[in-house]
Amino acid sequence: MIRKFLMYTLLILSALVLFFPILYAISASFMQPKEIYAGELFPSSISFDAYKEVFDSIPLLHYLMVSFIMSFMVMVGQLVISSLSAFAFSFIKFKGRDLIFFLFLSTMLIPWEATIIPNFLTILNLSWINTYQGLSFPFFALPFGIFLLRQHFLTIPQELWESAQMDGCSRFKFLIRFVIPLSKSSLSALGIYGFLTTWNQYLWPLLVTNDDTVRTVQIGLKMLIANESSSSWNMVMAAVVAILLPTLLLLFFGIKHIREGLTAGALKG
Amino acid sequence: MQGGKARKVRKSGYHNQKKLFGIGMLYLLPAFVFLGVFLFYPMFKTLYFSFFEVGGNGQVGEFVGWDHYIELTKSEEFRKSMKGTFLFVLYTVPAEIIIAFFLAVLASEKLKGIGFFRTIFASTMGVSVAAGATIFLFLFHPSLGVLNNILGMFGIDGVEWLTSSDWALFSVAMTTVWMHLGINFIILLGGIQNVPDELYESADMDGAGYWSKLFKITIPLTSPVIFFVTIIALIGAFQTFGQIDILTSGGPAGATNIIVYSIYQEAFQYGNFGFASAQAIILFLIILVVTIIQFKYGEKKVHYQ
Amino acid sequence: MRKFWGCFVLMLALILTLAACSGDGAESLDDGDGGEDADGKKNITFWHAMSGSNGEELEAIVDKFNEQSDSVHIEAIYQGSYDDSLTKLRAVGGSEEAPALVQVFEIGTKYMSESGFITPMQEFIDADDFDVSGLEENILSYYEIDDQLYSMPFNTSNAVMFYNKDMFERVGLDPENPPSTFSEMTEAAQQIKDEEDAYGFTMATIGWFVEQLLANQDALYLDNDNGRSGDATEALVNSEEGLKIFEWLQEMNEAETFRNYGSDWEDPRGPFFAEQVGMYLDSTANVAEVIKNSDFEVGTAYLPVADGMEPQGVIVGGASLWITNQVDEEDQNAAWEFVKFMTNADIQAEWAAGTGYFPITPAAYDEQVLKDVYEEYPQYTTAVDQLEDTTVTPAIQGALTEVLPEARKIIETALGEMYEGKDPQEALDDAAQKINDALE
Repeated sequence: MIRKFLMYTLLILSALVLFFPILYAISASFMQPKEIYAGELFPSSISFDAYKEVFDSIPLLHYLMVSFIMSFMVMVGQLVISSLSAFAFSFIKFKGRDLIFFLFLSTMLIPWEATIIPNFLTILNLSWINTYQGLSFPFFALPFGIFLLRQHFLTIPQELWESAQMDGCSRFKFLIRFVIPLSKSSLSALGIYGFLTTWNQYLWPLLVTNDDTVRTVQIGLKMLIANESSSSWNMVMAAVVAILLPTLLLLFFGIKHIREGLTAGALKG
Repeated sequence: MQGGKARKVRKSGYHNQKKLFGIGMLYLLPAFVFLGVFLFYPMFKTLYFSFFEVGGNGQVGEFVGWDHYIELTKSEEFRKSMKGTFLFVLYTVPAEIIIAFFLAVLASEKLKGIGFFRTIFASTMGVSVAAGATIFLFLFHPSLGVLNNILGMFGIDGVEWLTSSDWALFSVAMTTVWMHLGINFIILLGGIQNVPDELYESADMDGAGYWSKLFKITIPLTSPVIFFVTIIALIGAFQTFGQIDILTSGGPAGATNIIVYSIYQEAFQYGNFGFASAQAIILFLIILVVTIIQFKYGEKKVHYQ
Repeated sequence: MRKFWGCFVLMLALILTLAACSGDGAESLDDGDGGEDADGKKNITFWHAMSGSNGEELEAIVDKFNEQSDSVHIEAIYQGSYDDSLTKLRAVGGSEEAPALVQVFEIGTKYMSESGFITPMQEFIDADDFDVSGLEENILSYYEIDDQLYSMPFNTSNAVMFYNKDMFERVGLDPENPPSTFSEMTEAAQQIKDEEDAYGFTMATIGWFVEQLLANQDALYLDNDNGRSGDATEALVNSEEGLKIFEWLQEMNEAETFRNYGSDWEDPRGPFFAEQVGMYLDSTANVAEVIKNSDFEVGTAYLPVADGMEPQGVIVGGASLWITNQVDEEDQNAAWEFVKFMTNADIQAEWAAGTGYFPITPAAYDEQVLKDVYEEYPQYTTAVDQLEDTTVTPAIQGALTEVLPEARKIIETALGEMYEGKDPQEALDDAAQKINDALE
């Protein structure tokens, strides 16, 4: 009994501390500027003025849309390319396969930031500044994704492929009909991973976007902070809450799957 | 691979081999194209740039050999930046893992309503860099920040979170730890839940206490997961950028100018692409060495089930 | 798993529809330079760095221009701070991604003029026979290199001291007679600290203020007449005058009558509005904003100067408009139309009245809108008087070097180090050394 009580106390305390920044952001987004100055913890009354103001002054929904499209593109790109490559590495036994696989694997050691200067110049020379392809293409090939899927594909018995072959099934059909459906959990984990990391991108969108057409929420928020005077923190917090809402909701609904997928990745990776 | 299959492949002869190679390449083609254009080529280009003077638009100027690297060893800024980077790693990685592990142990208890707590603990995973850093920018604010107000309630003097170079790196690290707790928590929780219940049951029968179970069963058996999380956290720490840009812009007095920010500043603010490339190569080497050390010494201590 | 992805797709659909329906502020998002919009107007991209209420004022002027022009449509895009915006420009300047028109801060002048991706303003002036005699001469002089005007001054400001008149009254200082020298400032700051639960003085850790405080003592920042009679080779910031500034700040810092709130322009404003600090330095560009946000009476005063000397004057700060050569000639001419429009006396008057920048054409002072504002808010006139009292010397023309943005950062670092206990002389010497390295 005492132990249970202790556990709950610890749980509640940790939850409060951990969730405090988000709670406070929500609280501040409902405040009046005067209450912000006074350093209040709670607003005296709920006011949606800050939300109205922020949606009027910056195209926040548009930013969200851009982030969604970009993250979605990267997610799909990574899934397709990783599946194709992982399939080659697990079901096509060609000469030099292990060497190429090792080469791919070793690129996991290259931090993306180390290549950012030439990548920027590439995008600039292709005139891909302010475009979705400029934002997303550099992230389509993900060695980690190839590795993760290959690990899973290898658990699919080769006999399955042999018998499918006897039924006149082509390689590509086999990939679509059997391998993909059998690897749903890994694909989901990879998809979520790709989506969230892209959603989180900061440096790259900062470099390759110059106007609102393809500005992501992250950069939009940075511009908002730079643009607003110190009196508008309630507005900035309203923007933060609006940006957090979609991802937090996704997380709350999808937490179980994310956990399963990521754990699988961690254990096999 | 099974013997039967291997024999079949060998039998199929040279032509088949060549064809298989073609098919394999076809499947790998997209990966080759994208990796080639956005990873292999730029990596070599960075190396190449690091030996030249390169202007703001990528025009390659004169060959300078090792000059950029020599300059780096002499530069006080770079030394400061490296020191900051390693301090940052030191502040963030252990804290991230210990706190996340603590939360995961708490949340692995089978209690009523535990799902709610798990969701809360995981919540920072849904917080993007910019959003998280912005919240903390507000919390740290010198005059409006609520953190100092709370400290004040306990009679503690306000802290100059972001304006003192003694504190700034710590404050950025604190923000980072908070943002990374969610994902680390989820992975570690998964690891803890994968430990078979029978082990605890038999430990109970032996009369083992809470702590001895934690140290003798939970930690050893989750060590592969802890290892995985550590690598991810380490590499992530070296690549930190967004928080720095929003919270401190590398200041005050260069205290938070850690390596990726320094590369960004040198390249895109000052237009010294060559010099920045040399720093990028250093970043690559550091990550390489750290990862190798990890695998060499870390993996030995890990118990695989 | 299906539930999760269902929810995911739903979210995606929701945001897409919302964004598509609302279309808020996202109109005319597309179209780079040279494109034509629905009315057959030329689209010209204009990057600027005006934030907050100044940004709104700028948008209003751009709208006004777009309404009256039947051939050109300006699309103003906010690019963050001056530094951010110059960073962006540096990255894409030499490519077709560059905007036709861009606002760059004064210290970017040398860099821009030698970047190779701009067309000097003089060419348009000559081609169009535009009369520049209506423009304020000592503002133009800043942007002239070898008698050629490279960019059109647009928003100019200088530094003034803002103070809280009500607080002055409360602590027994004369609100009509603010301190003007370093030692008077130090004393006043102490008095505020003693009488009120507030700091006496603050200044954002921004190199620009140091440049201004140096100029006010007629001290050079760089050799070769601030890099104007020849390329600068050496920094002179660690001079006696420079040391006076640093020691003055450090003295207050150690007495805890000064507090460092950070290195953003915004940082000291919040504490000032909240009456946590009595005096601070800011750009005149923010007079409107400061008055609006303060619940007390705001005073403005000349920039303080070292003891035993008269204030020598201030550097013209602010920014100018540049036309790039990466777009075709027609677009450049369209951009020039807008530049000309911005120099009109009525526009300048409106701009000055709404922000606190000076008009660049003296004729604007005769416009009613500006007269009214100056009468209602005498705080505005401090900046104008301060500029008028300035005699142009090389020190006051300001430093000219490509690495000035970097030098500014170096000075900011030095200030930060000093606030944390580094010896002022040492901090300055190190800074001078670093600037020298950068000059190479």
